[in-house]
Amino acid sequence: MFDGLFEKLYEMTAIGAFVDNPGYLLMLLISFVLLYLGIVKKYEPLLLIPIGFGVLLANLPGADLGIVAGEKIELGVDENGRMMYMNLFEIAHEYGILNFLYYALIKTGLLPPLIFLGVGAMTDFGPMLRNLKLALFGGAAQFGIFAVLLIAMASGAFTIKEAASLAIIGGADGPTAIFTTIKLAPHLLGPIAIAAYSYMALVPVIIPLVVKLTCSEKELKINMKQQDKLYPPKYTIKNLRAVKIIFPIVLGTVVIILVPSAGPLLGMLLLGNLLKEIGSDTQRLTTAATDYIMNPATIILGLCVGATMTADVFLNLKTIGIVVGGFFAFALSIASGVLLVKLFNLFAKKKINPLCGATGLSAVPMASRVANDISTKYDPQNHVLQYCMSSNVSGVIGSAVAAGVLIKFLM
Amino acid sequence: MGEAVFLMIVGMVTVFTVLLLVVGIGNVIIRFVNRFLPEEVAAKPATSAAPAINPNVYSAICSAVSTVTGGKGTVVDVKKL
Repeated sequence: MFDGLFEKLYEMTAIGAFVDNPGYLLMLLISFVLLYLGIVKKYEPLLLIPIGFGVLLANLPGADLGIVAGEKIELGVDENGRMMYMNLFEIAHEYGILNFLYYALIKTGLLPPLIFLGVGAMTDFGPMLRNLKLALFGGAAQFGIFAVLLIAMASGAFTIKEAASLAIIGGADGPTAIFTTIKLAPHLLGPIAIAAYSYMALVPVIIPLVVKLTCSEKELKINMKQQDKLYPPKYTIKNLRAVKIIFPIVLGTVVIILVPSAGPLLGMLLLGNLLKEIGSDTQRLTTAATDYIMNPATIILGLCVGATMTADVFLNLKTIGIVVGGFFAFALSIASGVLLVKLFNLFAKKKINPLCGATGLSAVPMASRVANDISTKYDPQNHVLQYCMSSNVSGVIGSAVAAGVLIKFLM
Repeated sequence: MGEAVFLMIVGMVTVFTVLLLVVGIGNVIIRFVNRFLPEEVAAKPATSAAPAINPNVYSAICSAVSTVTGGKGTVVDVKKL
């Protein structure tokens, strides 16, 4: 009666799987570290906690909660040469509910634009409209993306699609990085999302480091308000609310005609912003975008992204390459913005604080707050927050456009 | 490698073109608004009741009530307590 009891109990549990593949244990450890960083250190907790828990669930052997590779849902080619896939019911039945959510909401590219809708509803274009010229420095910061694309290709370790997905980490924009990776290299979604959000959480460390290496004390003491007094703007905005309402409509129309592939992200960002700026008439929609849509989207996105990080997918050399490459993409983006400001200052009468270039990477508004902390450290009266927000917000637009270009040419 | 260089050139040119458009469009809209819509049109009170308080304060109260009630509430009267 009790013959083989312990053997059957052993087979019932997942202990055998841990013995056969110790990688699972390592992944559990990684999930605990992510949860620790999110809960205790408060590094991007809204994302790192669902991602960390997704990693945990995906690496519990036998629970079958990990996201399966795209090839597993392929059914072969039909008579017209088109690939056929399992339907969502079959995916849910065969691979479980997390795969259902992943293939329905993430693989289709739905959630990142929905999150951008909420981001738009929380973004204020006011500082950028008051300091429009500074918006150009948000462009320089996208150089890090393309520089790391070159470096990754030169290393020979990545295909061009993988290199582009890695490089977009330099945009410092989580939804944009995830959207691009879903389109170009979905098998790298987990490590790229982790790297993107980890470095975004480390903005308070990375920006001061790069600024210290590239800027002098004299440059960091440039007082933008004094410069405004010395060289006042040509005109003031008489009706900011009207400008803020017209701006997303016109900008969306023009930019999406120019770069249609940036439409899903940029379109939703600008729609969210328009809803916010209209005010009380669309208050319910703004609340829906920032709360009822964005919050569940964030949970599902984080959980499913974490669940893509199974031991066999995550534990390889490419992950290390992504972690290292992501850091360079970030650092080069900051340095490029700083260097463009320094170049501008060589020729312009009205000097600009190089911190306005450092904030060209997205990470709104954390990058601007960090820049303001740096400037006030050198001169307590020198608040650059509003000026940095200009390049910071334009960096969101810039990285969405860069992603659009990569998707357009590589898909 | 050649493709990566091509992407870098096209990408950076596109990003700067779009941001130049942001600057240009922003300037055109500001000039347009300054010329044709220079001042905010004050929101009309929801009721015909003539408030005995500063119209700006009354507008602010109407706006706050509209926001809190999701557009369903109206201000009938404002009394100083």
